[in-house]
Amino acid sequence: MTEPAVIAGSAGAVAARTRGLRKVYRGTVAVDGVDLEVPEGAVVGMLGPNGSGKTTTIRMLLGLVQPTEGEIELLGVPVPGAADRVLPHVGALVEGPGFHPFLSGRENLLRFAAAEPLLSGRELDGAVSAALERVGLAGAARKKYRAYSLGMKQRLGLASALLAPRRLVVLDEPTNGLDPAGTQEVRRIIAELHAQGVTVLVSSHLLAEVEATCTHVVVLNAGVVVAQGPLDDLLESGNPTLLVVTADGAAAAAALHDHRVTAWLAPAGVRVDLTGTTPATVIETLVRAGVRVDEARRERTGLEDVFARLTHDLGEASGERTADQPAAAEPASDQPAGARPAPDQEPVR
Amino acid sequence: MTAQATVATQEPAPDRLRAPVGRLLRAELRWIFRRPRTLVVLGLLTVLPVITGVAVDLTANGGAAPATGGPGPDGPGGEPPIFVTMATSAFVLPLGSLMTLLMLLLPLTVAMAAGDALAGEQSHGALRGWLLAPVARGRLLVVKAVGVLVVALVAATLVVASGFVTGLVLAGADNLASMSGTELSLGEVLGRLVVAIAWATLYLMAVGAVALAISASTEHPMLVVVSVLGGLIVSGVLLQISALDWLHPYLLPQSLGSLVDLIRDPVATGGLGEGAFRALCYLVIGMSLAYARLTTRDG
Repeated sequence: MTEPAVIAGSAGAVAARTRGLRKVYRGTVAVDGVDLEVPEGAVVGMLGPNGSGKTTTIRMLLGLVQPTEGEIELLGVPVPGAADRVLPHVGALVEGPGFHPFLSGRENLLRFAAAEPLLSGRELDGAVSAALERVGLAGAARKKYRAYSLGMKQRLGLASALLAPRRLVVLDEPTNGLDPAGTQEVRRIIAELHAQGVTVLVSSHLLAEVEATCTHVVVLNAGVVVAQGPLDDLLESGNPTLLVVTADGAAAAAALHDHRVTAWLAPAGVRVDLTGTTPATVIETLVRAGVRVDEARRERTGLEDVFARLTHDLGEASGERTADQPAAAEPASDQPAGARPAPDQEPVR
Repeated sequence: MTAQATVATQEPAPDRLRAPVGRLLRAELRWIFRRPRTLVVLGLLTVLPVITGVAVDLTANGGAAPATGGPGPDGPGGEPPIFVTMATSAFVLPLGSLMTLLMLLLPLTVAMAAGDALAGEQSHGALRGWLLAPVARGRLLVVKAVGVLVVALVAATLVVASGFVTGLVLAGADNLASMSGTELSLGEVLGRLVVAIAWATLYLMAVGAVALAISASTEHPMLVVVSVLGGLIVSGVLLQISALDWLHPYLLPQSLGSLVDLIRDPVATGGLGEGAFRALCYLVIGMSLAYARLTTRDG
């Protein structure tokens, strides 16, 4: 299954890499030909609709599941062949937290701490306390896991991923069940890890989450990588727009339509599609048409737009939309060309 | 936070790729003996010999009977004379209790422990925690098997100790006759009880190994207990069918009758040895299957 010789030694800048990764479960292809690259020191967000192969890919990365085909390299070492050599440096929260209800949070963590090769016997207690402190569970450490809320369970899972000093932390849906404060804390923890130079791979269906915390993005759809790269590049790949703030939006839109520039109404004025035109031309056009321009600023496409576009053939991505973002901000009747799907009109923060 | 920081600064020794096995075992045993149902079952197993002893003592109206009862016939069908005459001797009561409980309750205790060890952990998603730490799957199986072994040993010891103490209280230390009519010293009795515990533990571990193999293939601990229960009952039925004589040597409960030999004087070792060998075969096969399944299983 593993051919360590094929994989070149660590290229230096890659914490995890897969080539042609494929997993078939009883005839169902869960992951197909995934070439993944996780740059060292990056925070990589793994996006994809439910069932797109995120968790399967992560489980293969960690040596929990044998791939049907393909190679995996984790911190420069082939997996699952030499997984034992790297896993001490890898912390992971996969498929929700796994603990026993009759033990307290602290006792549960102590069990797993005992199995951490990098911790010596004397360090166990301190490491467990530190991990609990870090996820904000110090106060509930002696409570039975049975009595934990969903969010507390999730935090405990996070704590077990942070028991020992790590080089790579893999988090599968870390904000599941967390309230906004908890989500903020996860963001803070990821930022802390990033600042320490730890590579983080985080899968999520919360796009805002990924946009706020990640430097790189991998988008999976139906078991295939449809896009990956630095977050900024991915966002730039969407259509750039210009938001023109004006009191007379309707006149502005009409003027732009006359010049074959796509524009549609926004609450503060008009939003202009910059494909095939430049901001200078747009403003000049508007000024000549007698429209008062109060302000104009370039907008990046939201990750949500990119995601919807990339996973479009799966139907609507609306099921994956974050609950805290309303779907359509403007009435559809304002659409000039009528071709744009609603998500593209959403204002970006 | 401070501990985390100091740990991060020191470079880990390159050879430190696995946690010491003693630490894993301690964590495993702490987990087993913190589990409420383990304690309940062990408590129940301790109480049963006491109940048996007191009940027999009340009905037999005193502890004079054991030596005069006469030897029972060999084989699994030979219990009744022992049961009747078991009375309350500190020698016969623990062995009788052990024999009775070995039929069902002790194997089920072990099956429960084995079911929790792998299937139960998997159903809670906790097995992943060990694999990711990482604990190699072979080592994990060893740790889990030792956990089951300790449960078997503790359960067998509790039954025998409880029976022994009850016997001492009810009949005193001077009524230690063997089934063959000879009187045994306290030291001799203790020696034989230790042998009985060791033999019973080996027998239970054979059940435990098979249970671990099932446990490695499912995530429902209940299925492990039910399978073991079903296996024991089916074996018991098959052992009653004389047309299947050729099959009997391969059935684990066939060994149980030989435990009676420890009450004879001198001890007939043939049956005990054969039983131990049979248990050993089951143990090897069960552990091999468990290893094969656990190493290929998705975590």
